[in-house]
Amino acid sequence: MVNNGAPDVEVVARVLGGDGEAFGILIRRYEPGLLRFATRMLGNPDAAADAVAESLVRAYRHLAQCRDPVRLRSWLYRITGNRCRSHLARRHTNDISLSEAPPLADGSDAWAELERSEQVALVERALAALPAEKREAFVLKHVEGMSYEEMAAVTGARIPTLKMRVHRAREALLAALEEVVR
Amino acid sequence: MSPIDPRLQEALDGERDPGELPMDQREAYDRLIAATQVLTAAPQLSVAARVMAEIQQNPAPALAQGPMRRVMRWLGRPRAVTLRLRPVWTLALAAGLATIILLLWGPGDGLTPGRAEGIANFVGHFPGARSVEVVGSFNDWSRGVLHLNDDDGDGIWHAKAVLPAGQHEYMFVVDGERWVPDPLAGRYVDDGFGAGQQNALLIVRPAAVQP
Repeated sequence: MVNNGAPDVEVVARVLGGDGEAFGILIRRYEPGLLRFATRMLGNPDAAADAVAESLVRAYRHLAQCRDPVRLRSWLYRITGNRCRSHLARRHTNDISLSEAPPLADGSDAWAELERSEQVALVERALAALPAEKREAFVLKHVEGMSYEEMAAVTGARIPTLKMRVHRAREALLAALEEVVR
Repeated sequence: MSPIDPRLQEALDGERDPGELPMDQREAYDRLIAATQVLTAAPQLSVAARVMAEIQQNPAPALAQGPMRRVMRWLGRPRAVTLRLRPVWTLALAAGLATIILLLWGPGDGLTPGRAEGIANFVGHFPGARSVEVVGSFNDWSRGVLHLNDDDGDGIWHAKAVLPAGQHEYMFVVDGERWVPDPLAGRYVDDGFGAGQQNALLIVRPAAVQP
């Protein structure tokens, strides 16, 4: 009887104790973020769904190897990031094509103030044009709201390296946005 | 693409108050933040059903535990057992079991069920446990009502209670915190909380029809 608000550590213990259904709680908790991350990485909602589904099944099967369930979120993002990289490697390119850029579910008020849908597409295009590692760093930092420490746990990269990737990604995005303003 | 002013990077990293930025950098800051807000829209997708279906086709995740614990888990998991018996043997077996029960817990147990009541025997093997109690539909799942005893310290805990005849759901609570369905119950029902947990099921027959 795991309550849906139970800490990750408690839910993981129940799953490892044989309560496979409790894994559904973890899915509901982390699925939206993982799907968003994979969609931004792969540019294709279907490919993202495949990557996240494979990652979650893999996480379930190897849950006992998650040595620190307190950091379960980082562990799940790491698995999903690896699946996305494998997917991109199979496509022999780190860039996602514009035709595959995902439609966004909705626009925010902030964006409505900034510009219209053309600029939404522009942000996606600029993001898609980034090399995968910079795109990953930018998405983890600004879309998933992670600290550099957590990003390091997810990617395995050092914090100065991650900072540099995020800085370069910002420069590319800002340059693309300024192109439209001119 | 030109480098961004370090002050703008610091503001975007949360290390500087954006209000301190010069006007042109403040505009760039707002533009980037607005762009990232657009990207935070969650895709309208779900893979939960697909993942759970795949998980249900597989057993529990590979656990980092010893073979003994795996054996104990295997022994403790409810399994369907099909037993084919001739009716005459079934009756004989029931009579034999009833005799044994009467001999072991018959007169002298101090329990006197009414016509619409019966005696329930709770037995569990919990070596090393400090306390074991039973909670169930018959006591509103209340703790502290029905405790099992292990007087000889052999890890086998017992309790008997007079309960209304009929069907009851129950669980053992070990050491006040671990809820465990009776591994020997033989029958189980979903607990209705949607997490796949099961309660043990007990059927109490009225004393009037007990042999």
